[in-house]
Amino acid sequence: MGTLGAFLIAVGAISAIAAILAAALMIADATIGDYGEVKLSINGGERELAARGGQSLLSTLKEEGIFIPSACGGRGSCGLCKLKIESGAGEISPTESPWLDEAERAAGIRLSCQVKVKRDMVLRIPQELFSIRQYETRVLSIRDLTYDIKEVTLGLVDPPEMDIVAGKFVQFVAPAYGNSPDPVYRAYSIASSPSRKSEIQLEIRLVPEGICTTYVFTRLKAGDKVTINGPYGDFYLRDGERDIVFIAGGSGMAPIRSMLLDMAEKGIDRKATYFFGARAMRDLFLVDEMRELERRLPNFRFVPALSSPAPEDDWKGEKGIVTEVLDRHFDSLAGHEAYLCGSPGMIDASIKTLKGKGMPEDRIFYDKFA
Amino acid sequence: MTEFNAIGPLAVLFGAVFTNNILLTNYLGMCSFLSVSREVDSAAGLGAAVVFVMALANALNWPIHYYVLVPLGLEYLGFIVYIIVIAGTVQLVEMVVERVSERLYNALGIFLPLITVNCAVFGAVLFMFIRKYDFAASLAYGFGGGLGWALAILAMAGIRQKIAKAPLPKGLEGPGITLIAAGIMALAFMGFSGMIRSS
Amino acid sequence: MKESARLKEIRSRMAPGAITLHGFLGTDRRSLQEIIAEDEALFARLGLSRESIAARMRELADQGGSGLGEPVAVPPHFEVRVDSERGKLPCPFGDKGGIRKTVVTVLNKRLGRSLSYSELGLHMLEAHGFLEGRGSPFRLEPAELAEILEIGAGK
Repeated sequence: MGTLGAFLIAVGAISAIAAILAAALMIADATIGDYGEVKLSINGGERELAARGGQSLLSTLKEEGIFIPSACGGRGSCGLCKLKIESGAGEISPTESPWLDEAERAAGIRLSCQVKVKRDMVLRIPQELFSIRQYETRVLSIRDLTYDIKEVTLGLVDPPEMDIVAGKFVQFVAPAYGNSPDPVYRAYSIASSPSRKSEIQLEIRLVPEGICTTYVFTRLKAGDKVTINGPYGDFYLRDGERDIVFIAGGSGMAPIRSMLLDMAEKGIDRKATYFFGARAMRDLFLVDEMRELERRLPNFRFVPALSSPAPEDDWKGEKGIVTEVLDRHFDSLAGHEAYLCGSPGMIDASIKTLKGKGMPEDRIFYDKFA
Repeated sequence: MTEFNAIGPLAVLFGAVFTNNILLTNYLGMCSFLSVSREVDSAAGLGAAVVFVMALANALNWPIHYYVLVPLGLEYLGFIVYIIVIAGTVQLVEMVVERVSERLYNALGIFLPLITVNCAVFGAVLFMFIRKYDFAASLAYGFGGGLGWALAILAMAGIRQKIAKAPLPKGLEGPGITLIAAGIMALAFMGFSGMIRSS
Repeated sequence: MKESARLKEIRSRMAPGAITLHGFLGTDRRSLQEIIAEDEALFARLGLSRESIAARMRELADQGGSGLGEPVAVPPHFEVRVDSERGKLPCPFGDKGGIRKTVVTVLNKRLGRSLSYSELGLHMLEAHGFLEGRGSPFRLEPAELAEILEIGAGK
């Protein structure tokens, strides 16, 4: 047969084989890869969702407007998205096992970003997660509080209002930029008063090697759009009459400030002392605002404690690590409650000191997202 | 039609595992063998995946070669066609495994894309044509070749786990000692030759 | 040498922007196994095991932790400061999550030199023998570790 004929047959044969395979793959993707519609039964049937299978449980729930906390965008690197799945989850995958201990596995707790929705599922979602939404916001202002902490004010655009309880936090989404190829989610406590429903303030501290904080410090400017979701957390001021001890340093002030502003606005004048631990005067900020709050709340005292004041600071206030200062101030804390916000090390040390003064552990509250 | 080799499938199977071990006798499939043979668990997973893919590759390429390429005189396109077929089917297999059994997928699913380009798989396909195996023998060869490869990698993983604590000269650590061990294993397997009258 | 799919995944988690800003590999083009193997060899030449070095680093970290960010004097002539941030990080090797963001800075007053390491870095050394790639701003050199932390063979 002629060369053209041979050529055409050769090309035709290979194309046909490749086309058949491609078609088989497309069909497979549509059939085998398509898990069809599945039913998700939440909280004993309280809510029933019909969703498309094939995605992670985290994404599927997000599409249905239910936001499960996640600091890593579903990549299995933060462990915050744990949910109790009573049936339908399948086997624990290798990407989940580092995050689940024996007790959790026995209880059916899984990492929802790693569980693929393939069949009907029965799961439990904590009630407070139902009020979480995703918000589109715009940066209204950025102000330096110290050399390494900025206050970022975000105006809510869509939805335009958020119901906040003082002490809650939001997830801030830093978009892909520079060296960072994917969006990154980080949690920041809300520092503004709950009465301001259409804007929120965050206190963000520059963390060395931090993907999100580097973005905030080097790229973010007024007018930029920011996506956040929330509000999350079970850290809030309990009702009652007990005297309060607040302990927080650095950007940990955020939820405490929110609580104090809330107390001032509502006239909750319980006896309260706020121990702000810092190293030197350059780490102190919003002192004027704290003094103003002392005027509005006569039973509130702000006690900044510097652990290593610089000579030029000429510091006349409390000296020492915050736990030492706390120790000096009280003989007994048996009737108090405490609200802590800061690094795990500081929280552990504070809890030890507080218990040593007679405070029962169930009256010590802190945000566990640290 | 071609004159097929008269050898029976059982003999081919046995031969592929011992006397004609595709890794130890023909030295094919060395790269993943060297990199994944550190632990017995991953070696087992990879070995299982290779058995699967090799058998499937042979099963599919045999009819395509004899019923499509040969009648149309397109044997020279063989290499391209076999690779396309292997790549496509591995994708399909991965999807099916993921759907059907999560446990299996977690065990060997991640290895499947890795062995698409494993030369042992491609080598097995070519050998079945060179040695003119009929369909049954080709299937047996694919299955047996994979088993032989798996046997070699499992043995190597066991050996490496044992010698992990041994005081080796610095220059021999890693690939060095592995290749030496592979060579010794190959010598050992040579002892099987002559056991079966096969090609 | 070709890396398996699992190693490729680990490498991608070590890239800049995946877990930390600059990642863990710096400008190193060697495979993960090579980096770890060569550091093992360096340890062996110093007559030390990764366990003994990691144990010393952990000991110093524990003693410095009580300072809550303030330097703590550790005999015979060290000063250790432990800084922590909120949040948790996963190990890029995928074996452990929820590692605290803690940085330990050890000053050897006798030598006048200091070095820093993180909780994550310590875990990677303990569990995987990984000290980060060349060119990474947080790479730990075995010789420096031994010298500044005064971990002698037989100590």
